[in-house]
Parts: sequence; C-alpha cells; structure tokens
Amino acid sequence: MRCILSLAMITFKEGIRNRSLFGIALLALLLFGLNITVAGFFMRDIGKVTVDMNLSALSFAGLLLVFFVGVNLMAKDIDRKTIHLVLSKPISRAQYIWGKYLGIQFFVSASLLLLFVCSCLTVWFLLYLYPNYFIGFSWPIFFVACFFVLVKFSVLTAIVVFFSAITSSSLITLIFSLSAYVAGVSIEEVVFYMKSEFAAQEKIISESLTTFIDIVSYLLPNFAVFDFTLEAAHGLAITSQRLFLSFGYGAIYIFILLLLASFIFSRREFN
Amino acid sequence: MRRFLPILLLALAVVIYSLIFQSVWTTREQVRSNTPAGYIIPSRFSRILALGNQGLLSDFQFLKIATFIGGRSGEGEILNEEDWRFVIRSLDVVTDLDPYFVDPYMLAEGLLAWDAGKPEEANRLLSKGMEYRTGDWRLPFFVGFNNFYFLKDYEAASGFIMTAAKLPGSPAYLKTLGARLAYYGGKSKTALLFLKEMLSDTDNLLLRDRLEMRLLALERAVAIEEALDKFITQEGRSPEKLVELVTAGYLRELSVDPYGGDWVVLKSGRVFSTSKFANTLPKKPSDEPSTSN
Repeated sequence: MRCILSLAMITFKEGIRNRSLFGIALLALLLFGLNITVAGFFMRDIGKVTVDMNLSALSFAGLLLVFFVGVNLMAKDIDRKTIHLVLSKPISRAQYIWGKYLGIQFFVSASLLLLFVCSCLTVWFLLYLYPNYFIGFSWPIFFVACFFVLVKFSVLTAIVVFFSAITSSSLITLIFSLSAYVAGVSIEEVVFYMKSEFAAQEKIISESLTTFIDIVSYLLPNFAVFDFTLEAAHGLAITSQRLFLSFGYGAIYIFILLLLASFIFSRREFN
Repeated sequence: MRRFLPILLLALAVVIYSLIFQSVWTTREQVRSNTPAGYIIPSRFSRILALGNQGLLSDFQFLKIATFIGGRSGEGEILNEEDWRFVIRSLDVVTDLDPYFVDPYMLAEGLLAWDAGKPEEANRLLSKGMEYRTGDWRLPFFVGFNNFYFLKDYEAASGFIMTAAKLPGSPAYLKTLGARLAYYGGKSKTALLFLKEMLSDTDNLLLRDRLEMRLLALERAVAIEEALDKFITQEGRSPEKLVELVTAGYLRELSVDPYGGDWVVLKSGRVFSTSKFANTLPKKPSDEPSTSN
C-alpha cells in the first residue's frame, strides 16, 4: 500500500509541474469570464445558462487535463522506457498501475477542485448580479453535478490507464481514450434512438447493428449517467437511489478496468 | 537593408490583412443577410452530436435564433414563411434539448403568436413546456391569452387562465380574469389587461418595444371602443363612420394607429385596424368589419 501511495504522490507532483496545467486553468478562467458576459444576453433563464456554461467549462477543462496531462503521466514511462527503472524497484506491476491511477486521480481532483472554486465564485457573482433570474437554482444540486463531473473523469482516467497498459505509444492511448470518451458520451442517445419509433421507420437499421450497439453499450461506460446538468440548471430534485446507482456504476467500472489493466500489464513484455 | 526586410514584409502583410479583414466581414454580413434561414439539425441527432453538452447546445441554439430575428428586424426586413419555419423548427430543437428552458417559450409567445400570426404553433410549443414546467403559471397563461386573443376560443382561454391562476406565484387578478373572460369575450379592454401583464414580465428589449407599440395601439383602440359603446347606448344606433364619434363629441380626436392602418369596427363590437397591428400579415381576424371610418 505504501508503495502505491508513494508512486501516486510522485505522479501527482509530476502532474502539478506540467506547464500545460497553466494553459488549461487559464482557458477555464476565460470560459468562466465568458459566462459572466454571455449570461446577460438571455431573457430570464440566466441561472440555467450559468449552470450549463459552468459545468461544460469544468467538463472541458477536465477533458483537457486527462488527455494532455493524464495521458502523458501514464504513457511517458513506457514511451521513454523509464518504466524499466521504476519496475527495477521493489514494486509489482499491479501496484504500478494502481499507484499511477491514484496519482493521476489526485492530480485531476486537485485541479478540478481549484476550478470548482472559481466556478462557484462565478455562479455566486451572477447570482448577486441577477438574483431574480435564479429561481430554480439550488447550491446542493449544483455541488452534486460538479462532484459527478469528477466521477466522470475518474472513469476516463481509468480508461486512459487501461489503454496505456495495453498499448506501447501515448498517441495510440490518446486516440483510443478519446474515441472511448466520444462513444461513451453519446452511447445512451444512440441506444435510446434505436429503441425509438423514429428508428423503427428506418429500414437500414439491421438486426446485427442493434446487437452490435447492445454489446458496445455493455463495454463502454455510459457517461450520461454522470450528467446532472439538467437537474442542476433547473433545480430539479435528484433521488438518492439515482445518486448511489450512478456512483456505484462509476466505481465498479473503474475497479474492473484497473483489475484488467493490472492483469494485462503484469503479463506484458517490454522491449 | 536585409535586417529590415522581414519587418517591412510583416508591416505589408499586416496592412493587407487589415484590408482583407474588413471586406471578409462585409461579405459575410451580406452572405448572412441573403441566405435563407437554413437548415437545423433535428434534435434526435443534435442530442448525440452535443457530446453530453445538450444544455449548452440549447443555449447556443437559442442565441442563434435571437440573433437571426434581431438581425432581420434590425435591417427592417420582414420574415418570410421560410424564415418562420426555421424559427419554429429551431425552437422545437432547443426545447427538445432542454424542455425546462423557459426563454424559448417566452420567445415563441412573443414572436410566433404576435408577429408570425401562428398562435397554434406557439400554443403547441407552450403546451410542450407545460408538460415539464408544471409549476410555471406563465405557460398556461400565454396559451389562454392566445386562445382568447388570436383564436377567439373564449371557453378554452378561460380554462387555461383558471389553470394558471391555481399555480403558485400567479397574480391575484387571474382568477377574476378567467371568470370574466367567457362573459366579456372579444373586447379590446380584456386584451389590454393581458398585454399589461405580459409587458410587466418582459425584459427583452426587442420584445418590449413590440409589446409597447402594441399596447399603445390597443389603448387607442380601447378609447375608441369605449366612445363607441357610449354612442350606441345614448344614440341607440351605431355610427356610420368612426369620425362621427368625434363630431358628436364622444371622442376628442380619432388617434392614429401606430402601425399605420385605418380603424375598423368588427361585428363583435371590437375596434381593430386594417394594419392588423402587425408589420407582417398574420391570419385574418375571424369576423368581418361592419363599419369603417
């Protein structure tokens, strides 16, 4: 356990030192600033627009963090062959995977926490500017939505770690993870579309395509599960069952992926 | 000389860029104003393409509609049938992406019912909103208003106003309004009450201007209507022309319709204008004029 934690700390520090972090933070701050400007363009649902923009800015920043810094932190060791140096220490390959995951997770959480504080300030400022246009807004639901943005990126980090464990290049990891993200974000819409009456009218959707989508929906994480933007934007109540289910779904998916990653990584040969 | 060459080249390039920049934006402006409204991706596809940012996409799409309409009315252009179809489809997409978003419903009421002369479309969108925003009194209020003012279905209007009156936050006068609606029916004064309420609830400048102009027109119509009622009660007949109200001393002067039309009296006793209170040509009023000035 100590090995995992010290590896996680090293990874975390390495992430914090990454210069692209400043760029991402700056971009997020710009988006929050843009939010303040744009909110005034709307007639009355300013609260909704603010929440939409804040959560999307957090999501976008998180995505950049995982793809630009996270992928680098994980795949660089393998790319530059420094992995041999790490594995020559008394640390198992499985421990290496878990340590790396925790390190990236710490890093993403810390960065998102910082952006979350900025986001709260933006919302608070707009709430102060337009108090009459935040009718349905509720802070607890907004916090829940922000927390699930973090859960979403925990799952994505696990995907990055998984693909790093089975591929030999950071570029391939990036492409695979990005594809998994895009597909995961839209898979729910596709599945429900296939079930809808619109799809029933289309003759080109074959039986085998339906089966294929069905299988893919099991393999890929459904990122829409972690999306509480609509609820946060309009202050709609969320049942505790849905919260636990979403959290449990994310946690078990991460666990399975990391187990698979450590299993494959332990049997992998480096040249 | 060789040292200054890059600087010279850069300066030249910057000058050319600024020249091109201007014409690029001018051309774009022309292209945008000439192009028809365009195609909007149906919501069942844009939901997928939004990659989890459906809320943000609905905000963007809404701004796009507002810019489109603002741009057309800024240039004094009248929206044609195709433009309105685009607006309706876009509003449908926005409300599919986020059915709780209140702004598109407000825009639907302000534009589709008033300017486009499509109160049925406005009602359809508002009814969609009522399914989701169950506690919002404004949506049934607007449906009621459209039924009353445009569709002349006073019974349905009264029902919707009653529904609105029962919802939290609704103004107290709605209860009496709902009850009175069926009785008083098509008088402009009832419309005036509605309009004042809508105006007090609107912050959008574009819409405010339109509503204020409409209010002015209606206030003038109501003044004529009241004088007309007085004339009929006292003289026991309808005036042949509206000018008669002025000559008989019931009205100080026959004010001008701000939309530039001529006043007419409908069979229902309501005073209306040949301009139909619109810059576009909405649906014809259901009853034909009986007297004109």
